[in-house]
Parts: sequence; C-alpha cells; structure tokens
Amino acid sequence: MSDVNWRLAMRSLRRDLRAADVRALFIALVLAVAASTMIAFFLDRLERGLERQAGQMLGGDLVLEQRDPFSEELRERLENAGFVLSDQVDLVSMISRDGRFQPASIKAVDEVYPHYGASSVDFGNGTEQIASGPAPGEAWADPRLIELVEIELGDRVQVGQTELEITGIIEREADQSGGFSNFNPRLMINTADVEATGLVQEGSRIEFEILAAGPPEALEQVQGLLAELRRDGVEVRDVRVDRPQLGNALQRAESYLGLAGLAAVLLAGVAVAMSTRRYVERHLDTAALLRCFGASQRQLVTIFSLQLMGLALVAAVIGALLGLIGQAVLIWLLVSFLPMTLPPPGLMPLGLGVFTALAVLVGFAGPTLLRIKRVSALKVLRRELDPLPPSAWLVVGVASLVFGGLLWLYSGSLPLAIALLIGGAALLGVLWMISALLLSGLLRVVQRFSGSSEWSQALRLGGRQLARRRQAGLGQLLAFSVTFFAMAMIVLVRGDLLSTWQDQLPDNTPNYFAINIQPSERDPFDAAVSPRVETQSTLYPMVRGRVISINGQPPGDAVPPDARGDNSLRRELNLTWQSEVPEGNAVVAGEWFSPAQLGGDANSEEGNEEGSEGQGWMSAVEATRQAAPVPISVEDGLAERLGLGIGDEMTFSVGSDEITTQITSLRSLNWDSFQPNFFVIFPPGVLEQFGHSYITAFHLPETEQGLIRELITDFPGVSLLNVDAILGQVRDVLGQVTRAVELVLALVLLAGVSVLYAALTASLPVRAHESGLLRVFGAGSKMISRVQGAEYALLGFASGLMGAVLAELTTAALYIFLLDLTPRLHVGLWVFLPIGGAVLIGVIGHALSRGLRRQAPAASLGLLGEA
Amino acid sequence: MSSESPRSERQPDNDNQALSDIPQGAVRHPVLHADKLSKKVTSGERSLTILHDLSLSVAAGESVAILGKSGAGKSTLLGLLAGLDTPSDGELTLFGHALSRLDEDGRAALRAGRVGFVFQNFQLLPTLSALENVMLPLELSPRAGETQTAAQWLERVGLGERVNHLPKQLSGGEQQRVAVARAFVTDPELVFADEPTGNLDPDTGAQIIDLLFTLNREAGTTLILVTHDHALARRCDRCLRLDHGKLEAFVPTAAPIDEGTQ
Repeated sequence: MSDVNWRLAMRSLRRDLRAADVRALFIALVLAVAASTMIAFFLDRLERGLERQAGQMLGGDLVLEQRDPFSEELRERLENAGFVLSDQVDLVSMISRDGRFQPASIKAVDEVYPHYGASSVDFGNGTEQIASGPAPGEAWADPRLIELVEIELGDRVQVGQTELEITGIIEREADQSGGFSNFNPRLMINTADVEATGLVQEGSRIEFEILAAGPPEALEQVQGLLAELRRDGVEVRDVRVDRPQLGNALQRAESYLGLAGLAAVLLAGVAVAMSTRRYVERHLDTAALLRCFGASQRQLVTIFSLQLMGLALVAAVIGALLGLIGQAVLIWLLVSFLPMTLPPPGLMPLGLGVFTALAVLVGFAGPTLLRIKRVSALKVLRRELDPLPPSAWLVVGVASLVFGGLLWLYSGSLPLAIALLIGGAALLGVLWMISALLLSGLLRVVQRFSGSSEWSQALRLGGRQLARRRQAGLGQLLAFSVTFFAMAMIVLVRGDLLSTWQDQLPDNTPNYFAINIQPSERDPFDAAVSPRVETQSTLYPMVRGRVISINGQPPGDAVPPDARGDNSLRRELNLTWQSEVPEGNAVVAGEWFSPAQLGGDANSEEGNEEGSEGQGWMSAVEATRQAAPVPISVEDGLAERLGLGIGDEMTFSVGSDEITTQITSLRSLNWDSFQPNFFVIFPPGVLEQFGHSYITAFHLPETEQGLIRELITDFPGVSLLNVDAILGQVRDVLGQVTRAVELVLALVLLAGVSVLYAALTASLPVRAHESGLLRVFGAGSKMISRVQGAEYALLGFASGLMGAVLAELTTAALYIFLLDLTPRLHVGLWVFLPIGGAVLIGVIGHALSRGLRRQAPAASLGLLGEA
Repeated sequence: MSSESPRSERQPDNDNQALSDIPQGAVRHPVLHADKLSKKVTSGERSLTILHDLSLSVAAGESVAILGKSGAGKSTLLGLLAGLDTPSDGELTLFGHALSRLDEDGRAALRAGRVGFVFQNFQLLPTLSALENVMLPLELSPRAGETQTAAQWLERVGLGERVNHLPKQLSGGEQQRVAVARAFVTDPELVFADEPTGNLDPDTGAQIIDLLFTLNREAGTTLILVTHDHALARRCDRCLRLDHGKLEAFVPTAAPIDEGTQ
C-alpha cells in the first residue's frame, strides 16, 4: 500500500511543479537548505582548517611537556591510540665562540620534526622551506644569535661540552613549540647531540616534550589519559582546547554567519508556511475525491506528506549543491587569509542540510497539511464544505518548537534556544496586537482621504479590501514584518560589525614590540623611539615571578585538577606594577588599587626605582611575613582557569624573596589589541627592588624603518619583535570576512524575497475574485491595477513600520548579549523600511497579479467551473 | 424494500433478466438499505430538516433513479447513501455493514473498490493523465498496479488513443467518459451517478448515458442515478422522487418536467 501512496504522490507532484505555490515552496526550501549548508560547510571547514593551523603552531595535535623524560609506557599508549610521536628537548644554555658568550634558547628536535608545515631556513643561498630539523652535528641559529656571537655559516660553536657546526639561519620556525620563554635567541639542534652536550643534569632547566600528531579520534581516545597527566602536573596542550585565540573578530563573524543562516531558515520557514496553506487549499478537492474512492485519512496524510517530502528531498539536494558552491565561493573570497588549504567539505553539513529542509517542512507545513486529513468526502458533492484551517496558535506553536530545535542544534545552547523561543513567542503575541492596532489605525487614516483623485480613490478601495480580509491581512502583515525585520537585522548588524572592526585595529596599531629594555636603558630608549613613532604604549616594567602557593597550599593542590599543568603554574609569570588601570583593560570584579593601597605615591613607578625604596608598599614587603598581603589585580581568564576569585591569596617567588598577595580585582583585557598585556599587576612600590626590564609596543611608520637598525646597534640587548605580518593577517581576515558576510547577506535578502513571493502567490485566488467583482461592476484595468497596488503598498508600509520596531529592539538586545557591542538608534531604519516596504510589496504584488487583471471576470470568479 | 415506497415500477424495456422476476430485492441481500434516515442542518439559529424518515432498499443489479427539484436534497441523499455523510437519525446499511458502526475511515475502506462515482462536474484530477485518473480507484483497492485494466476501460469508453492526455486537453464529453471508465474500473458492486449529463450538451449527454447504461448492464452493477432528467430516469429499473424530504415512487413523463431544470 505504501508503494501505492508513493506512486500516487509522485505522479501528481511531477505535474504540480508548475503550480505557483509548489514553486514557492520549493524555492523557499532550496534557499533554507542552501543558506544553512553553505554556512555549515564553511564554518566546518574553517574550524577544521583553524584546528590544523593551530596544530601547526603548537607543533602537533597534542603536546606534552614536563621536566623529566617521558616513560616508554606513555609513548606506547599514545602510539597505540594512533599518534605519531616526535621528541623534543628545550633548554636554556650559554653558547660560546672565541670567548664570546651568549645565553640561547636551545631546541633539540628529532627526525620526525616538524609534524606540520616547514621552517624557513637560509643555508647560504637564500631562504628555503624545509620540513625537517638540523642533522646530528649541525645547528641552526636565529639571526640575532649570529649577530650577538658574531658567527657565520660554517662556524662551529660550543654548546655545553660539544661543538656543533652552524649550517643554517632560521628565519621562521615551522612551529612555535618550545616557546620564547626567556626571549633568548634560538639555537636548533638535533636530539642526537643532546647527550654529548652534557647539559641534561639533575637540577638543570630542561623541558622534555612529546609532540604528537594524530586524527581527532586518537585525541578523543586519550582524553582520560590526558586528565591523568594533567593531575600529575604534566603540561598538556590539546589542539582543540589550547589553540591560539581565534580573535574576537572572527568569533563575531562566526556568530554573525550563524545568525544570518538562521534568519534565512526562518524566512524560508515563513514562506513554506504560506505556500503550504495555498497548496492544501488547492488539493482539498483531490483529497475529497480520494476519500470518496475509499482512501483513509492516514492514507491522505501519507500521500500528501510523501509529495511534500519528495519535494523537500529534491530541494535539499539542490540546496545542498548550491550550499556547496556557495561555500566554495566563500572560501575563494577568503583564500588569501587562509594560509593553509582547507580540508575538503565533510558529509556532516550535507546531512544537516537535508535535516533542516525536513525540519522546516514538518514545523512550518505540518499543522497546515493536517487540515487535508479532515476533508470530508462530501466535498465532491458540495464544494463549499472545506475543513477549517488549523488554528493560528497551533501553526505558530509547532513552527516555533521546530525552529527552537534548530536554534538549539545550530547554537549548541539549549538555554539560548529556549530564551530566544520564549522571547520570540512573547514578541509575536505583542506583534499581533500591535499589528492589529496599526492596521486599523492606518485603514482609518486611509478612509479619511477625501479627494476624488484616482489615487485617493485607489487607496480608499485598497484599504477597504485589506480591511475586509482582516485576519488574512494580519497574517500577511506579520509575515512581511518578520521578513523585513530579518532583512533589516542582517543589514544593520553587518554595518555595525564592520565599523567595530575598523575601530578595533586603527591604522596606528602597534606593529613592534620592544622587550628586555634594562632600567638604565629606559629613558634613552624612550627618547630614541618617541619622536619617531606614531603611537607608543606605556613602558611597562616586567619582573619574573613564579606562583609557589595559593591560599597557603601548593598550587597543584589548590587549583582544579585540570589546571595542574597550566602554563601559569609551571613557568615564571611576567609581573608588572601600575598605579592606573592600563589602557584596554577593564576591572570586572573587585576594586582597583585604592590611594591607600598605592601608598600615597602613585608616581613611584615613574620615578627613580632606587629612590622609591622604603616608600609605599616597600614597608609592607619588609613586614610581609606577618603583615597584610599585597593587593594584586588578576586577568579574569586566568582566575577562571585556576578557580580563583577576589580575596584569594597567591604567593609568588621573585628572585630569592616570597611575596604573599591577595586578589583585590579581576580585569578583562583585549588580547587582540597588540598592546602589552599582563596576567598579574601589582601596585607600585613592591617589585621595584627586584631585577626588572621594560616592555613597550609602538607603531613604526613605513618611512622610519631605519630606526630599527639604529635601535639594534644602540640597544643590542633589547629584543624587537615585528608583528606587521600578524597584524596584516588580522586585517586581511577582517576584510575578507566582510566579503563573506556580504555574500551571506545577499542570500538572506533572497530568502526574504522568496517569502514575499510565496505570500503573494498564496493570496492570489482571493484577490482574483475581488478584482473579478470589481471588473463586473465596471472597473477598468487601470483602476483595478491601482487599487491592488494601493492595497499592497499599504500592507508593505505597515509591515515596514513593524519590521523597524522589531529590528531596533532586537539589535539592541543582540548587541548587548551576543555581539558585545554598544547599542545605538538607527534612524535610517525608520524611514527606509516603511517606504521601502511599500515600494517593494507594491511592485512585486502588482507584477504578480498582472496575469489576473487580464483574465475575464467569469474566469476569476470561478464561473467556468473546474478547469 | 422500504415500507413507505411502493413496489418499484419496472420499465418494460429494461431487460435485466436476472432481476426482472424478483422485484422485491429486499428478499435477497440488499446492496443498500436505508432505514428512517433523517438529515437536519442548522444554519444560524434555524434548524432545517432536509430529509425526514426516509427509507430505501436497493437490490443487487438494480438501477434506481432519484428525481427531484433543485434544492430538494438530492445531493444530500446521495452523500448519505454513499456513506460520504452521516445521517442525523436512522441507519444505513451498505453491503451488509451498518455505517453508524463505522468511523470515517471504516466507511472509506468499505467504499474502496466496491463503489464507483460519476459526478456532474467530472471531478478528474487536473494533474493526472486520463489513464492515471482511471487508475486512481484501482490503486486505492487491493488491485493496485493493474495499468492494463485501466487502459482497457479507457479503450471501452472510446479513449484508447488519448490515455496520456491531461483532463484540460479533453472535451467535456471526453472528460466524462474518463470519469465513467474510472467509475467502473474496479468492477464495483454499486455505482452512484450525480447528474452525469448536467454539464454536457444534449448530444454528448445522450452518448454518456448510453455508455453508462451499457457498461452497467454488461457488468451487472447496481446503479443509483440522481438526475432531474425524466428521459434519463425512465431508463432505470425504478424511479423515485424526492419531495419534502421523502421518497415516493414515480413514473416519469416523456418530457422533462418544469421543475427539473437547474
């Protein structure tokens, strides 16, 4: 029997494809699927691409680091899980040649290195890309090291107890593993030579690393093991958790794309609901006839569901193909910012697309379709016996439920989905009432148009037609309002997103960092740099300190188990002191240092460090062992990771001293700002007694590049880091994500037009009847055309107004809660939407009903019977 | 046979031998038996009785014409008899099943394959070809998939060449031929015809009627024909007139009566 239903369904579907409502339904579904799959495909590939890139930066998909060599057993477990392992040893040691000594950050790599990417190395004839490390007996050096030790390619340098030949100059390493821990210049050697150096000794500062590369499943499989390792104090870097910050900009773009995709799905859903209504009306006769021939209710539902499902499946496939093409275009737009080739599109988004199509169909068409089940066989004899349309509450309820489910699926957050849903439902209720008021108000105004001009007559008649079908008119008003709202939202958010991005990285964003400025060099350096750069951050003092206890316990015991291997506990932290909240930082909990805490000497960090002894907190430090702890301000992300809050105590070891501190404020800061940022800030007067250096960031204009040479010569100890490349990359991301956003925007607008098309198509028969009547009473084509135009324009105007209200309220909410921007009033919206709505709906509606106006009145009145 | 209806007036020219000598179909198993059917509708505050205590019994193979003025409730009665509608009161038994004991779906299942329909406005599905339209009732019966049967029926109504045409590509008469083929394709026990010539010109109408009666005779089907056309009615075994909600036996005159026109 099911086979029969299928045949019946498909047979009529083939011919039904010509019907306007089926076409509208089809287009809407194609758009919904295209939008959702395009965005899902794109985000999926981007995500996986970024993961791979992160893997490259980390040096592997999983990086383990500890002070002792790793056990064979652990190695085996990792290899069994499917990882390829690479060993690495990092240590800091002096290297020397001809009596010149220089500390270097030594990184010993094996034959497997690097897992991903390649290093840029100069072997004497220009930079080459090479995907391996130095051979045994050889070493590659950082250009700074070459300069500081005055060596050339082919020279031999002393490393511990052995000599290695410098065969290459490393411009860029394939990965960033091993870190810049001491800002010492890099020397890369082979692990085979480590033993000969004799540097691996009890008590020496050595980190052993395992860099592991493997598929996501392997990573999944060892999660338990990783948790164990973290508890044992091993630093674990997992590519999915510890990948470098995506950057707020890209995250916002992801939010935006997700939002736009959902907007397109919602719009398509509205279109589906409207065309289904017409579809069902058109098929009531068929249903009645089938009933007459003995079809059961269930069979009717099956036949028509199958028909729509078949339609949805075809639409899903076409939509998914369009989505596939769309994402390829997106990727093409973004290609220059994506340094790596993205992995090929996965199957998941395709499944998601088909699922979306079916969900939209069930949610937005289901209740309406069920009407067909209630058709009476008697309708074959008495045409007027139509089953009642389903209640608006049922239709909206089911649609909201399904849309909520999609929200959940896409956002991955149930509370967000529920909140949006409840908010949406409440909004819809309010919207319905406001629309009703607005419509009657508008119609009353229109009826006052006295004048006998053609247009005021048209407006009066059009208004009256609209008033006559109040319920249908309200439904359309609602649909159009939601459409305009979604379109406006996507345009508005885009504009604000772009301007925010531009504000975030102004032209004078720092492009150089200067590190390791000694106190004695501070003023000369400042004097050399300040006059020639456009912007310069404060010179922040920097003291290295290690966390040795938290709330009186060893750090490992005081923090959550997962944080035991946290970088901040294993390494020395860069501590600074400031009397003011640094630029770009915001206190999110607690209070910034009070004048009392600042010891009444807020300028102490400006003054001569030696002179500040005995002032401010110095006296407190003297008394640290028994007196109140030093107040500090901690970055909120670090505090969250370590499970710390206001009032918690942290003890740092700085030099040979211990300082007990208490957290008095938490700060949020913008890691994308290209400014020096600090996890922990002390008040002035505490750290000055310890050895410290300064760090600053500045923007060096194109024309002043010579300054760098001078600085290297005059301040050989200062490290200069050029971040132009990174900065350029971030700018590229913003620029190209902008283009991607625009493409998606176009898609949403298209979905909006599909709603208009569907809605107007659905209302054509009623309008045909009316224009037929007008014709019978002697109205000419022009007159009818004007009346219809006026009716559509009125509808469009009201919808535009409602859309503006909705959009203004929602953008404000979105900015505050989701995109983290400051809300503002959009004046253009209030002008453009109503007028644009009137024109758009007027024109589309007018064009669509042109066919009707040409019909003889008898045809449009249905006097010709069943054709 | 109904207690109220007088003996059926058999047409002398009707040559249905099988039934001619058993005028009282009720003795045999009736195909359809209506017992004191009433139908009331409420329109606004007024309650209107369309049918009142109406009884009727139709024997297998019999052809019955129901005549009546426009608005007399012919369509309502047809709907009730076919089980498309439920009576306000009374009981209808179709093929030995009391319809009041069946739900909507049960009544539909009872019709499937056993009842054929010919409508005034043809009721062909505009999106299906002639052949597909004829196959429709077959597919809802246990005989799904018998394309050949459907094609043969189209052949029999003279449309063998036009199987793949859509209804709108066919003339009114041709459309009604398709409908007739559709009514008989399942070898039904009972065929309802509702003003089958109402939308056709007299010549075409006459052809359709000839076709209908020929097929009916050949298949030995029970036929219930609702019409206002006395000439048409006279070709049935029995004529009944619906008046003031009741059925009465009636001998149609040769010429159409005044009230018969639409």
